[in-house]
Amino acid sequence: MSHSEMSRAIRHLETTRKMKDMLPRFFMRMMERRFSNEPLAWCMVGVPPELLKAFDLLFEWPENFGTMCASRLVAPKFIEVAEGDGYSPELCSYVTNTMGYCKLFKETGEAPEESPLPGGMGTPAMLLGSGFICEPRWKWFQSVATRFFNVPVYSSDPLAPPWDIDPHNPRIEEHYLTLLREDLAGQIEFLEKQTGKKLDLNMLRDILSLSHEALGYWRDTLALRKAVPTPMGSTDYFHAIIPQMYLVGDQEAVDFYREMYEEVKDRVERGVGIVEEEKYRFIWFGLPPWFNMGIFNYLESFGAVFAYESTYNVGDFFDVDLSDPLEAIVRRTWQRAVKMHDYGSEAMPELCNPAVFGGFVGSSLLDELVDDFSLNGAIMHLTRSCRAVSFGEIHTKNRLAKAGVPSLVFESDMADPRLWSDAQIKTRLQAFLETVDRAKEGGKINDS
Amino acid sequence: MTVNDQPANNVNGSTELNEDEIRRIKTKTGKPVIGYICCFAPPEIISAAGAIPYRITGKPGKDTSSADAYSEPYGCTYVRNILARAVEGKYDFLDGLVISHSCDMVQRLYGIWTYYHPLPYSYLFNVPHQLTPWAQRFYKRELGFFRESLEKFTGQDVPDQKLSNEIISYNKNRDIIRRLLKQRKEKPPRLEGSEIFELLLAGGTLPVDSFNRLLSEKEVQFASRRPVNGNKPRIMIWGSIIDDPALFKIIEEAGGAVVADDTCIGFRVWEKDIPVTADPYDGLTEHYFVNFQCPRTDRGPGIKRFDYLLERAREYDVDGIVGYCISFCDPHKFDYPDLRDYLKKEGLPMLLIDDNYSFEPEEAIKTRLQAFLEMF
Ligand code: SF4
Ligand code: SF4
Repeated sequence: MSHSEMSRAIRHLETTRKMKDMLPRFFMRMMERRFSNEPLAWCMVGVPPELLKAFDLLFEWPENFGTMCASRLVAPKFIEVAEGDGYSPELCSYVTNTMGYCKLFKETGEAPEESPLPGGMGTPAMLLGSGFICEPRWKWFQSVATRFFNVPVYSSDPLAPPWDIDPHNPRIEEHYLTLLREDLAGQIEFLEKQTGKKLDLNMLRDILSLSHEALGYWRDTLALRKAVPTPMGSTDYFHAIIPQMYLVGDQEAVDFYREMYEEVKDRVERGVGIVEEEKYRFIWFGLPPWFNMGIFNYLESFGAVFAYESTYNVGDFFDVDLSDPLEAIVRRTWQRAVKMHDYGSEAMPELCNPAVFGGFVGSSLLDELVDDFSLNGAIMHLTRSCRAVSFGEIHTKNRLAKAGVPSLVFESDMADPRLWSDAQIKTRLQAFLETVDRAKEGGKINDS
Repeated sequence: MTVNDQPANNVNGSTELNEDEIRRIKTKTGKPVIGYICCFAPPEIISAAGAIPYRITGKPGKDTSSADAYSEPYGCTYVRNILARAVEGKYDFLDGLVISHSCDMVQRLYGIWTYYHPLPYSYLFNVPHQLTPWAQRFYKRELGFFRESLEKFTGQDVPDQKLSNEIISYNKNRDIIRRLLKQRKEKPPRLEGSEIFELLLAGGTLPVDSFNRLLSEKEVQFASRRPVNGNKPRIMIWGSIIDDPALFKIIEEAGGAVVADDTCIGFRVWEKDIPVTADPYDGLTEHYFVNFQCPRTDRGPGIKRFDYLLERAREYDVDGIVGYCISFCDPHKFDYPDLRDYLKKEGLPMLLIDDNYSFEPEEAIKTRLQAFLEMF
């Protein structure tokens, strides 16, 4: 890998380009509050952001910080520090990025100068973990609290039924709902204790309602991508998820996603795509290589666009009754688990996503997507250090092959650019486009 | 002669030979054999439901390319090994499969295996990661669902009394095992670590009574051994799944004595009795969930979570710890730096062996071990 091989993404939408102004404003606001010593929680995807808002808590997402470190190419520095401390290079690079960052922070008492945000991730007063999606999440905050910040931790523990257990069976449903309810209650009890505040259910309801409004626009925007040519590509998609982490539950997020929806809708009406001639319509599997988001633009230069991404997807947004906001959070989680289950979750047999976005589950969902989004190929990013998300890609590939859709699996990582081999990956991508050409002409799929 | 009269010398620590034995017992008794990985789904319930629990093991170092058509190259090499063997039909004697949601990899093995190669019976036993009261209640309910699924498959009811009896039978084996483990406290021990480990391995692949006879015979044999002279560095093994005595043997050949371990087929499962409780599911929850020391369970932050390990090291007068991590094993690899530092503070050196479930190249591992053992 050389740094010159990495390129930043070019975005196509006005709305996502405007984030360049919006996000710094938001971070400044957060920073001011941090400097006045308000307690800060480090959180993981899976912790309902609405709950954090309801406690008016300052929060930071080490996962997202990992993506920022990756895109600025500073992650390897932090990762190497963690490796020197005994963390295996095989471990999730978001986690090792955090561990190296924390070590440097503790050594000097301040954020390392390479940190993307002014003041880095700040000093946490508590850690809020969530075990949805993967194993490393169990160990991540446990290790942070053991080695670097001796602060209280609450890790929520959502579970969902495996693929061959019927979630519609009322006994099974109750078995899981009971856990989800009790776990949420435990999380709230923890937050009340740590913040000294009582949860205001009315406020939570209002926040949820704003968040659902924003996510409703996001869902509708994603659906618009069925249009040919697709009005929005992956570089916009992957950037547009950031407000979901930081701003969901605020009017600002509703406005952002409404604007985005309107812009995308307008593009559909005017037939504006993101490339001049859309030759290939793909689905993207896996986490993106945050250090080289320009790879999407590279593919676009050959007329290849992505109309759907498997990760960070809230396409399946749930309408839940908000009158009891706690039950609404539980039901949202459960409905999502059931939906994933109904679509076939054999590769991730018990994945449960309590948050609003997560990994792709559902082998039979593929057939639907291929039709609805007029897809003619799939590119899968096999991330060496995140097995949780990339596991199942071979199975997905098998399912796609059955449907006559060619796919390519290539290996690298989401945050560690040392695993990127530019020439080799580009050669494979180009060869894949030729395979798709042949498949379109009715030739044999020589998938790789 | 009934199967139960079979002499115990038909069985031994070699899981391969025990495969033949299990096929024979299966034919004789007509009982279904249910394979399991990880103990969160208790073998005692399988047995009480009239089936034969069989702990599935891999074959370290064997080519796993037959798994490539179904799963990614990056993944626990032990799990890939098992998947490859499943695809090759090596477990064709199994009528059922139980996999616990212990770590990501095993849990995902379940889906892929049962999708491509369905078995007459299969169950994914779901396990929370926390030890909160509600997580414990979930685990206990899960035990109930597991029992029901087995009852449906075997057609046999499992009343509480039957399950309690089964637990008592299994505990009898634990009793003998504890006596054998205690002998490791001798200096130097008369029994090799690998000998005991082979026995424990056999325990996973044999019906409870066959295992009991094997243990009893071995105990008598061992009792007549003469004490030996000289001292060897006393080692404890910690880490990922070990279902082959290779590492024990390499340590022994390098001049060490393995006197204790913290691994899932060793001390973790056999050291303590399952509490015999009025409601048998309470005892099972305590043993297999609350007290089962696998790093996949979140015991909260801080180094206190390793105290049990230090106590054991002191009890067996351990000189050093050999850590064994299989590639891509998240639960253990994440714990390693914390554990290493904790042990260091307590004056216990640790050597980490990273392996791709092959114990190779053996010479290189041995050389590292020799250098480590020279410290003592
Ligand atoms: S899902 Fe993947 S990237 Fe995210 S925390 Fe888990 S291992 Fe890391
Ligand atoms: S060795 Fe590690 S990754 Fe593999 S099955 Fe065991 S705990 Fe899971």
